[in-house]
Amino acid sequence: MTNKPDYARYGRRRLMKGAGLAGLAGLAGCIGTGDPEGGSNGGDGSEGSDGSNGSSSSDEDSNSDGGDNMASEIDVWGWDVAARALTITAEEYESENDATVSVEEFGRSAMKDRLQTNLLSGSGAPAVSMLESVDGPSLIDTGSVASLTDEIEEAGIREDFVSGKWEALTVDGDIYALPWDTGPTAVYYRRSVYDEHDIDPDSIETWADFIEEGQKLPDDQYMLNLPEGDLSGVWRYQFRQLSGEPFLESGEVNIHNEKSLRVARNIKEVYDADIAANIEGWTSAWFSAYGDATIASLPSAAWMEGTLRAELPDTAGDWGVFKIPALESGGPRASNWGGSNLMIADQVSDEKKTRGWDYMEYSLAAEEMQLAMYDEYGLFPALETTYEDPVFDEELDFYDGQPARALFAEVAREAPGYRFTADTPEVSQAIETELQRMINGEQSPEEAVQAAAETVAENTDRDLA
Amino acid sequence: MREQRRKDAVWRFLTYAFVITMVVVMMVPLYWMLVAATLPQEQFLQFPPRLLPGTAFLDNFAALQERLDFVRTIRNSVLIAVVYTLLSLVLCSMAGFAFAKYEFKFKEPIFYAILATLVLPIQLLVIPLFLLMAQLDWTNTFRAIILPWAANPIGIFLMRQNMKSIPDALLESARMDGATEFQIFYRIALPTMRSSLAALAIILFLFQWDLFLYPLVILETADMYTIPVGLAQLTGFQRIYYDQIMVAATLAIVPMVVLFLVLQKQFVSGILAGSLKE
Repeated sequence: MTNKPDYARYGRRRLMKGAGLAGLAGLAGCIGTGDPEGGSNGGDGSEGSDGSNGSSSSDEDSNSDGGDNMASEIDVWGWDVAARALTITAEEYESENDATVSVEEFGRSAMKDRLQTNLLSGSGAPAVSMLESVDGPSLIDTGSVASLTDEIEEAGIREDFVSGKWEALTVDGDIYALPWDTGPTAVYYRRSVYDEHDIDPDSIETWADFIEEGQKLPDDQYMLNLPEGDLSGVWRYQFRQLSGEPFLESGEVNIHNEKSLRVARNIKEVYDADIAANIEGWTSAWFSAYGDATIASLPSAAWMEGTLRAELPDTAGDWGVFKIPALESGGPRASNWGGSNLMIADQVSDEKKTRGWDYMEYSLAAEEMQLAMYDEYGLFPALETTYEDPVFDEELDFYDGQPARALFAEVAREAPGYRFTADTPEVSQAIETELQRMINGEQSPEEAVQAAAETVAENTDRDLA
Repeated sequence: MREQRRKDAVWRFLTYAFVITMVVVMMVPLYWMLVAATLPQEQFLQFPPRLLPGTAFLDNFAALQERLDFVRTIRNSVLIAVVYTLLSLVLCSMAGFAFAKYEFKFKEPIFYAILATLVLPIQLLVIPLFLLMAQLDWTNTFRAIILPWAANPIGIFLMRQNMKSIPDALLESARMDGATEFQIFYRIALPTMRSSLAALAIILFLFQWDLFLYPLVILETADMYTIPVGLAQLTGFQRIYYDQIMVAATLAIVPMVVLFLVLQKQFVSGILAGSLKE
């Protein structure tokens, strides 16, 4: 599902935890020979994995080969609203199939820690679980996630999803998860402030325009927030906007190229233009600054709407959205920030895998289900075929009548893919440090991206591109 | 003389100023937690923050209780921590007594081997322990949380150091009077160790009370969660329920505070007791 800006994810504690888990991975390698069969159903007494009743009625489930036995019970893990969204599809699924789908809701990082341990130890993982795109490669690399390449090919659903989703889920040509929601980017803005100061969102095409319009605001109001500690998040969505890839396919570090430099320069220009506030994200001060319009715009993604609705209900109706400005005139204006998928743990029995896939396909590859989850919980579908639905053209009160979903759908279609890897946190860390030094005036954008690339190369044992 | 007195007064003033500053630094987050537990989420997010308590405590509590039966979560934590503390006190004091007062082969190497386990971080033990528990079919049970840590190396060390102070002559005379070894331990040694046991009880209780990663992996269903595991479930993504988290955190410290108040006197003298030996 959605994800928070990078600073929240790659804080020091998180990295230390990551280091700890890396240690665990090593250890699991030595010990993980314990029988996975015994372990797989040891957990919750879900002994129904024999699948004997999976084929009780022959004509339902139109499976390609009716001989497939499916488990009668599976567990599904997720967090927050995503888990609650899955209960919608689980209920529907149960009403149409002779099976029980138990959805368990966890805290976000609690679930990540637990799932990682279960995957590494080869025991205790659920059949189906949520997988954030950014975590894709690091989990897939452990060899504990089941490949879904054949299932996806057979179902012929690959083209139904936005193309930008697949790259993070693919390792060595195999696909390991089915896309769920996506995070098309846009700039949220406060209509009343823009109107009052004669800022025309339609006239903003590039960041230069954005800066120029931002100068119209008085000294105590800011055009956007550019907090120290989240520069890497900003860098990433803009770098992705330019179809930048942090690593070459052959593995070399590639964050010191022309695109990265262009982004670094842009961040510096925005910073130097004195239109940016510096308030740590997701704090009470941050919410408050958007509540009273001290900050007039918020570059973010489709999922931010849910947060704004919930936390700043008084501002509903005063928001609008426009596409992220281009870095130069005529340049691309689509990027992506966040998004999740569903995956199957390799350790579960074949019967559970089959049932798990059946449920996943039912939930994510069906327009009706995706739209139900979007409608109820704001999870923006990665299933491109849903975008034809009239619901995307609706005029929304929250946006003062703007059909914002159509804009998000357009961005989702155009957003380029991104090669996340297990070393993505290294990139964020290095970019954060060096861009920070850049805006403090200690180094030029050229020096900043070069230094970041060198740090990543050294820490990850890779070469520079 | 006068000079000296003035110097003392200045020192005392500085000491008090320092201590009071530290008290404020320590207490402000606690105070904010208590206040925040009584505020609805919108007011929690206000800036500048509200510093006076609100009236939403019961509403927040009801919302929390609906999301996760937190009363049961606290009960689980108390049960686990109490059983663990009692069991571990018995094991640690017996082992400490043996290391302090008996001679046996490989005594020193065994003792240092036990101490050496202190360098293993819990994160490293989680996967092997999880596999072990899965094979025993003990996942999602309280015994899986309690037993692996029952013989606590810090506890054994602390009890050994303190037991060394018991005069050998005392034990010897008990032996002359016909006491069995267990009677010597139970009737003679243990009663002199009250303050050390109280201090150790708090240490053990806290250790188990704060344990997070391991129970997170072992406990599978919400009705078995301990407080740290339950708290972690409240941090979702799109919405972080600060109001509920603050209520939960406030409730979570109550048993700890009670325990400390009960054992406070012994705790302080118990900690000091170890410092004067050897």
